[in-house]
Amino acid sequence: MMRAVTVMAAALAFGGTAVLAAAPAEEAATDGRALYDQRCGGCHLEGGFGTRVLSRRVPEGQALLEEREVLPAAFVTLVVRRGLGSMPQIREAELSDADLAAIAAYLETGQ
Amino acid sequence: MIVLDAGRLDAALNRFAAIVGEEHVWRGDDAAHAYKDAMAPREPLSYAPRGAVAPASVEEVQAVVRVAGELGVPLWPVSRGKNFGYGGAAPRTGEVVMLDLIRMNRILEVNVDMGYVVVEPGVGFDDLYHYLVDNDIPLWMSAPAHTWGSVMGNALERGVGYTPYGEHASKVCGLEIITGTGELLRTGMGALEGSQTWQAFPYGFGPSWDAAFMQSNFGIATKMGLWLMPEPEHTINLAMSMERIEDLLPAVDALRPLKLDGTVQANPSFGNIIRSLAVRGPRSTFYSGTGAMPPEALERARQQAGTGHWNFSVRLFGDKQVNLINAEKVKAAFAAAVPYEFEASEWNRGEELRGSGHPTPSLGALGVVDWLGGPGGHLTFSPVSVFSGEEAWRQYTTVRAMYEDAGFDYYGGFTAGQRYLNHISMIVFNRDDEEMTGRANRLFSNLIETAARNGWGEYRTHTLFYDEVARSYDYNNGALRRWNEAVKDAVDPHGIIAPGKMGIWPRAYREAGE
Repeated sequence: MMRAVTVMAAALAFGGTAVLAAAPAEEAATDGRALYDQRCGGCHLEGGFGTRVLSRRVPEGQALLEEREVLPAAFVTLVVRRGLGSMPQIREAELSDADLAAIAAYLETGQ
Repeated sequence: MIVLDAGRLDAALNRFAAIVGEEHVWRGDDAAHAYKDAMAPREPLSYAPRGAVAPASVEEVQAVVRVAGELGVPLWPVSRGKNFGYGGAAPRTGEVVMLDLIRMNRILEVNVDMGYVVVEPGVGFDDLYHYLVDNDIPLWMSAPAHTWGSVMGNALERGVGYTPYGEHASKVCGLEIITGTGELLRTGMGALEGSQTWQAFPYGFGPSWDAAFMQSNFGIATKMGLWLMPEPEHTINLAMSMERIEDLLPAVDALRPLKLDGTVQANPSFGNIIRSLAVRGPRSTFYSGTGAMPPEALERARQQAGTGHWNFSVRLFGDKQVNLINAEKVKAAFAAAVPYEFEASEWNRGEELRGSGHPTPSLGALGVVDWLGGPGGHLTFSPVSVFSGEEAWRQYTTVRAMYEDAGFDYYGGFTAGQRYLNHISMIVFNRDDEEMTGRANRLFSNLIETAARNGWGEYRTHTLFYDEVARSYDYNNGALRRWNEAVKDAVDPHGIIAPGKMGIWPRAYREAGE
């Protein structure tokens, strides 16, 4: 029983970490690249579903969003909030405006 | 249809904003686009919601429910809203306010000794995976094909995964529920103040209610206990591709005794050739004609891709010595049934998790919606089948013929429970093709009707087809549906929780002709 209690207490501490990892950030995020990897990477990194789909729809070498020559932040914002093609929309309760702005700025500027 | 008038809606959203903050309330187009069905077989905004509110705590949910009851504003609760193919986040009717629980995303407890986790609705499979792995917690989760969705939402919708704990609903132990009047209750042993067995003994005292809050609209779940599997010492995966469609019969019959006696504890899934091809690329890679791919084109594609007409794997989890003995038993059973050999791969504790059988974060399964070139959508048709080769074959040939007559490729397979098969097939269509989506909708209704005529019921369905499936469960003049309505009216007197969910309408909606 002692072990269970210890683990439960530790788990509650871990719980704090998990909340930070999973919750939409309440504060303005600055690291657009890290956010992109975390929130968009499941589909839009090398080998992802989004990259595969885009490779058939955009000029060669432009399927990876991070390598896109022109990708305006306003376009990214609209696509994320409304969805486009086979990509479902992602709502504000899931991805905050601040995080989306950081991601969109990273994709537009590369920084 | 009961229309939510603008004055009442505004009044509710203003009061919700006072509870959760204006930044967590959405109105008009913002709400409609945020929660529309991303895989919609019809105009998605035709059943998109009028507003949304995202509380962050139990107390906020209770306050929102009380206001909704007072004003008569229906709520449509969602956890993460990734129930793709079954409507996503979208409600049955757009005349509701979404109750978005994604901000309640804490993993409240992991108990290693007892092997369970307590989660809030917004916790995703990816979150739980990282939590367990990053903290070296020796428990494994089970997950469906894509890991974007909610652990709780999936279990409460009776989703399936592919470990021995893959029948997720059966691993739920203890729920916290907010009722239609805003009261808070806990099921099972959680009803006893100070109990330490809420997540250990599922039944409690008197009627057990966990199952009644699954695929239902009797309450809003805010906490869920879920049993997790202790990390095994070893796994072995036995993969087989079968070249002929008729191989399904003997293979199903070979698997059944192994599931019944517990030799195979996970849920093997016999996937058809289209399911295999669709993860490799769009249909145009294999075939350029219109209508369903004819048999000779399928055979060419099969050989081109080096896959089977049916593909499946049996994965065994546990101690190595036991797994190796059971693997021989599995091999012998299939060797007596079909002329193919298994390809085996093993995993030992301490090795890289990918390929172990512990699901790792993946969205790859979503790629199948692009089978026809997209923008893709899909409708998932999921009747339960008797666990016999003959019955599975009858269901497969009936359903496949209907798909092909309607001009669609049959994409599907049979996932084995202990005593049943879930026959899960998907109508994949291009959302921007009105003629094609019309055909998809008609096919879906015809499938429901044909299935019911044959005594086959769906275990789950798309939001738009709740009523049709609910009506097909018609024993004794729909006695169970009438029972569900009686319960609904008693536990949700204002009729505000998810009206129409699973075909269960509150009294006012029934009187209005729903």
